[in-house]
Amino acid sequence: MTPSDPLKLVAELLDLPIMDKDGRYCGIVDDVELSGSAGKETRIKALLVGPGAYDARLPRWAFWLISKVAGRRVARIPIDQVDQIHTVVHLKCRAEDVKLHQVEDRVRAWIPKRGAL
Amino acid sequence: MNPLELTLGIMTAVGGFVDISELVFAAKAGSLFGYALIWVFALSTIGIMVFGEMSGRVAAVAHQPVFNLMRHRLGLKLGLVTLFASVLSTLITTAAELGGVGLILHYLTGAPYLLMAVVGVLVLGASMWVLPFQWIERTYGLLGLMMIIFAVALVAIHPPWREVAGGFVPQVPKGLSTTELLIFGYFMVAIISAVMFPYEAYFYSSGGIEEQWGPKDLPNNRMTTTVGFALGSLLAVSILASSAQLFGPMNVGPEVAGSSALEAAIPFGRTGLLIALGGMLIAIAGAAVETCMANAYSVAQFFGWEWGRHKKPWEAPRFTLAWIIFFLLSLAIVLTDVNVMSLVEYAVLFSIVVLPLTYLPLMLLANDKKYMGQFANKWLAKSLGWFFFAVITAAAIAAIPLYLLTSGGQA
Amino acid sequence: MRKLLLLLLFVAGCSKGPRADVPAIGAARSLGAEWALVNEEASRGHLTAVYVKTMRQQLREQLQTNASSLRQPDSRYSVEIQALLAEPDGAAPEELRAHSNKLKQIEDGLESA
Repeated sequence: MTPSDPLKLVAELLDLPIMDKDGRYCGIVDDVELSGSAGKETRIKALLVGPGAYDARLPRWAFWLISKVAGRRVARIPIDQVDQIHTVVHLKCRAEDVKLHQVEDRVRAWIPKRGAL
Repeated sequence: MNPLELTLGIMTAVGGFVDISELVFAAKAGSLFGYALIWVFALSTIGIMVFGEMSGRVAAVAHQPVFNLMRHRLGLKLGLVTLFASVLSTLITTAAELGGVGLILHYLTGAPYLLMAVVGVLVLGASMWVLPFQWIERTYGLLGLMMIIFAVALVAIHPPWREVAGGFVPQVPKGLSTTELLIFGYFMVAIISAVMFPYEAYFYSSGGIEEQWGPKDLPNNRMTTTVGFALGSLLAVSILASSAQLFGPMNVGPEVAGSSALEAAIPFGRTGLLIALGGMLIAIAGAAVETCMANAYSVAQFFGWEWGRHKKPWEAPRFTLAWIIFFLLSLAIVLTDVNVMSLVEYAVLFSIVVLPLTYLPLMLLANDKKYMGQFANKWLAKSLGWFFFAVITAAAIAAIPLYLLTSGGQA
Repeated sequence: MRKLLLLLLFVAGCSKGPRADVPAIGAARSLGAEWALVNEEASRGHLTAVYVKTMRQQLREQLQTNASSLRQPDSRYSVEIQALLAEPDGAAPEELRAHSNKLKQIEDGLESA
């Protein structure tokens, strides 16, 4: 399914894993940004990824707890960077191009790069 | 189907089937109730075959492991509850397994138990760092085949085979007092939990992705989960039956994990003892690795991180950090010097409560033609799946009351 | 009336006490039996010295923990458990089994009461 097809936000998009064009996992669809208004056509403008996007989806105390541990960052993936949507959302770009993988890269600096077969 | 791959897969499943919970509960069940609980092992094994096959099929066809799709089906809130509950129960299980590793190294070397637990973590951690996924799975699974000594030991002590076979028939022994009935019920629930631990589905489905399964691997998946799990379960049944024959008449519980090795020492002497201890060490160590990786898989998949041991540790940094942290947390639990047998009880109790949350999304996914196409559950998998879901839900509801009423199966 | 109530409460407390110790008695019974089995197999040369030493140590430690958790430390079963603990590491299996069997009788008696 392409992003321009009609789709069910909850059943077919929300909470799907995201893969960049190199086949690397780079997050989950935590929320979506919509364009349009009452009485007008609604389109998906962007996918939102990161713990900051949980605000609208969790009770206040749960979001507070999670944000203390994981922060409140949100990465925004414009819908034109989405290639296909099926069991995974496939991107046209690399994770770095949409500011995903920043935490992964920070943690990578702590991991020794030797010893594994 | 590559015959070598299939054989290795089955043997790995056999060697990796028994962990410390099955070891402990099989021995206690045999001593307390003779052969009367064999059918519960058999029933639970069919259950894990059904859900194991489903989780492997989902991995091979949807190319997504269970936890990725679980978040999508349950949503964020319920998904977080499931994640928290399964991580907690699997963490306690890892601690129980690590405690078991420490104990067995203590029996083999005489070195202090807590020091051996630390050594165990370092060795297991090193194996997870150095070896790629398939080597991890195969090493522990194949070396765990030493557990076959328990089946051979059972044959050597000439049990009453008709009575052993009779144990496969569903039954509740006659003439039990109310207390004994409650304890029997508790053991039923504990065995179901120990055989169908949530981490098994997470590890197996993630392993399918690690090995890049596709629809062509489905026959392999079916054979591994049926033949492999069935043969593995027979090892657990052997431990139970030997306990019924040897421990029950002598009023041995057993209360100490190391006593199970006596089942092989009695017929085969020191050689039997050492093979049994070696088999127990590898089987329990393998389970410690599996449970730790299952937790790291769950967290990484839930939050969309890079994951897997088919990648080098630095290629999936947050996943690597996750399994290291889980190992250290489990070690911290062991270092409080809590009794390993108590840890096993808690692991089994927490896990049974989480089981329905684990297997319901799996059932829904495997039924869903949108993800599975022609490989969605047919009538047999559906019927068995819902039957076992009802069984584990009933067990989950009964678990805590039975634990409290029987003081954890004691009285 | 108040004295009668206090007496009833006291008696109720007492009769609850021994039954509350049944799990501990059962565990001690099993630990004694396991110890006997280890010593028996050791005498047949079926076990390694390290295994025997570590098992005896662990069994004894657990018995000790068990004994200190009893709610009725002056009871018959407590005395039996102390007698079991007083046995040397290499005690004869028959001696250890005798203690274990006595604990089994007490356990069965309390369960059927």
